[in-house]
Amino acid sequence: MSTILGLTLRGTRALCVEVEAEVTGGLFAITIVGLPDASVREARERVRAALRTVEIPLRGRVTVNLAPADIPKEGALLDLPLAVALACRTGAIDEVPPALFMGELALDGRLRRVRGAVPAALLARTMGLPLFVPLENVPEVALVEGVVAYGVPDLPALFAHLRGEAELSPVASCEIPEHEAEPDPDMADVKGQFQAKRGLEIAAAGHHNIFLVGSPGSGKTMLARALRGILPPLSKEDFMEVLLVRSTLGVAVEDGRRPPYRAVHHTATLPAICGGGSGLRPGEISRAHRGVLFLDEFPEFPRDLVEALRQPLEDGEIVVSRASGSVTYPSRVLLVAAANPCPCGNDGDPSEPCRCSASERERYARRLSGPILDRIDLYVSVPRLTPEELVAVEGHGAESSADIRRRVTAARERQRERWTPLGFGCNAEVPEKLLRKELRLGGAERRFLEDAARRCRLSGRGLARILRVARTVADLEGADAVGTTHLAEALAYRQGGNAWTTGSRRFSS
Amino acid sequence: MDDRIKALLLLNAVFAPSRVWDLLRERGLPPEALWERGCDTLHREVGLSGNASGGLEKLLRRGWVEKEKSRCDDEGLRLVLCDDPDYPKGLEDLEERPLLLYVRGRFPRSGPFVAVVGTRRCTSYGRAVASALGSELARRGCVVVSGGALGIDGAAHGGALEGGGSTVAVFGTGVDRIFPSEHEDLFRNIVAKGGALVSEYPLGTPGRGWLFPRRNRIIAALSSHLVVVEAPERSGAIITARLAGEMGRELWAVPGRIDEKVCRGSNALLADGAFPLVQVEQFVDLLRPRSSSSEEGQLSFFGAEDGMPEEEDGVFSTLSADETRLLRLLRERGDRTIDNMAAEGTMSPARISAALAVLCARGLVYESGPGRWRAGPR
Repeated sequence: MSTILGLTLRGTRALCVEVEAEVTGGLFAITIVGLPDASVREARERVRAALRTVEIPLRGRVTVNLAPADIPKEGALLDLPLAVALACRTGAIDEVPPALFMGELALDGRLRRVRGAVPAALLARTMGLPLFVPLENVPEVALVEGVVAYGVPDLPALFAHLRGEAELSPVASCEIPEHEAEPDPDMADVKGQFQAKRGLEIAAAGHHNIFLVGSPGSGKTMLARALRGILPPLSKEDFMEVLLVRSTLGVAVEDGRRPPYRAVHHTATLPAICGGGSGLRPGEISRAHRGVLFLDEFPEFPRDLVEALRQPLEDGEIVVSRASGSVTYPSRVLLVAAANPCPCGNDGDPSEPCRCSASERERYARRLSGPILDRIDLYVSVPRLTPEELVAVEGHGAESSADIRRRVTAARERQRERWTPLGFGCNAEVPEKLLRKELRLGGAERRFLEDAARRCRLSGRGLARILRVARTVADLEGADAVGTTHLAEALAYRQGGNAWTTGSRRFSS
Repeated sequence: MDDRIKALLLLNAVFAPSRVWDLLRERGLPPEALWERGCDTLHREVGLSGNASGGLEKLLRRGWVEKEKSRCDDEGLRLVLCDDPDYPKGLEDLEERPLLLYVRGRFPRSGPFVAVVGTRRCTSYGRAVASALGSELARRGCVVVSGGALGIDGAAHGGALEGGGSTVAVFGTGVDRIFPSEHEDLFRNIVAKGGALVSEYPLGTPGRGWLFPRRNRIIAALSSHLVVVEAPERSGAIITARLAGEMGRELWAVPGRIDEKVCRGSNALLADGAFPLVQVEQFVDLLRPRSSSSEEGQLSFFGAEDGMPEEEDGVFSTLSADETRLLRLLRERGDRTIDNMAAEGTMSPARISAALAVLCARGLVYESGPGRWRAGPR
């Protein structure tokens, strides 16, 4: 009896699977037991054809057992351990040293790229075993430190290695590629929109979720895309988290340390955004982990979907639970939501009249309300500039993304120094109580705040939000104490500060 | 229960014209006559229609009057009958006056009543004007009357509350209904701050299209002056204005942009001879000449306290240099984006945002469109 180790994925974790093969006499048949899914069951055809290319014919009744028997196995990545186990069983290779195998087989014996190479590498590292992966998966495996891995082009090469005829060379680990691509678009490419840019700068610095309201064509999407370019590059730990999710999905690593950016359309389904589906795959929110999640036309998103985003935004991780089990994915994203001011999008715009009825507008505004908005700290309106205005701002040089990123990175650094001893990373994560204690407002600031709360009819939550944003504004400036100017600027980004969000459409006291 | 109350509640519930009640009195008939005499007699003697007397009988059979009265008592509503001494005098001018009013809260006794009406679908400019008007009127002790609807109505009521005065909302539904639901807080505040919610319709009457124009005659009759802020050509506000004109109320309209559909009606009123409201303070000065003893508001970061008039020069003395510069800029020409202001002035966008936030909180500027700013109406 030969036992070969393979693996299956469970969320972003790889689980070790023992593959046992048994051949008895009788008519030819392959049976795979141990909760294989359809792709594993189909492996028998691929494995049989692939083994034939290395002249290992299968005969008799073949039984393959995948242990532990109670975990569902999925994916074509079990092809390779299956082939190795059968080759072992038929005596084509003698002794296989303990190792993890993964890979999908082509009919001609080549190995195809699979998803989950990084979780597999982490598993191999913890188990202290070498890992055999398809050649195409080598770039991502190389980014995992301290793992012995071999890139396998095809079955003959692997068998030659296992027989000791021709050694495969181990994968050389490499550094995270420094992707110094130009930010696309650069903040300097966005004409005007100083306030929105400033809002994005604050959002990036304090990791505050941000809401952009503006007429169609005002540049909301462009601004959201430019946000990516002003975020500080991913740290090594962050990068590994991002890599893990991407590898789980089978997406190539190409962005280096650039934070991810995911734009989601409002027709996307709940499993597509939050994760789920077959194999409990990560959703868009996890793909955007440590980066930007952009929800354009925010009011068009179904209510249940928006509500489902609330908890992952709060916790930084999302638990996807289905009957087949539950897995946890990371989901610390910077949310950028965008909306038109009214259904037709022209409300308040001087160049075109709004054609919406009062009830349409009310319905629209109501869709903009809800508990999810508590997770959004910054509200910015994005005016659509007229051609004359565009010309007028033309001459005024805009800052490049790189310049803004430098300030953002410095502000992040200040926050890290302040909050790391307390176990937080940035201003947006810090609980309100702690934040208030750390602010140390002076008398003048207190008076200002009291006045503002009364005049703007701020709720307790609104006030907390302003303090949080003011802290970031001060950090951007490099100030230790929060002053009235910081508070005043934070006030400009409050919900309902502009007439285009729900707040001021209603009269509240 | 008083037969008089019973008779009026019944007549009101079947939408009998006030003429019926007057004839009943003139003929010297007691209120009981309504349920003691037959249908034909009533029709002959006081002109009560067959439908109405049929409805009346149905209500009597159901014991509706007693239920309605006890519900009023439970909810703390007051009934003001048409021959009560505190029945608002203005309503007497109506050809068809309401037989009674359901009143929640306190109906203000004194002070000029000024109606501020307009479309629900207003522009942010209209909202800013209505709000400024409401607040300035309230500050000077006028009572702001409006219809409690979204848009201009709501802004006028809200402004009046901010100005620390009382305001009256005349409902097109039963006074126990909250319509629109967005205004739940507003209505609660109106009652809490000494104003009143008023309706002639029986409790529980839901919003129906034809009830609203009908209630507009009450808004027009209650007030001595009527201001139309923004109204399209065919709208409730224009109906109110027409009625007010017929009753000899002073009619004012706020000039609007001629290319804006929602201003067509109010602009047409101006063309037809309504007074143009070109300055809020000037208008209010006409109603209530300013008293000489104007107190100085205590200084704070946002300048004068609520309830204190902000004088032209006084405003600037409470502002920072940035804020002063911006306010001057916006008073010169509005509808500017922060981009424009940053390009013209020497201030950074961050400083502009901060200054605008403070000015906005003080009501000196407002956002006229996404990211566009204007100086508030004066």
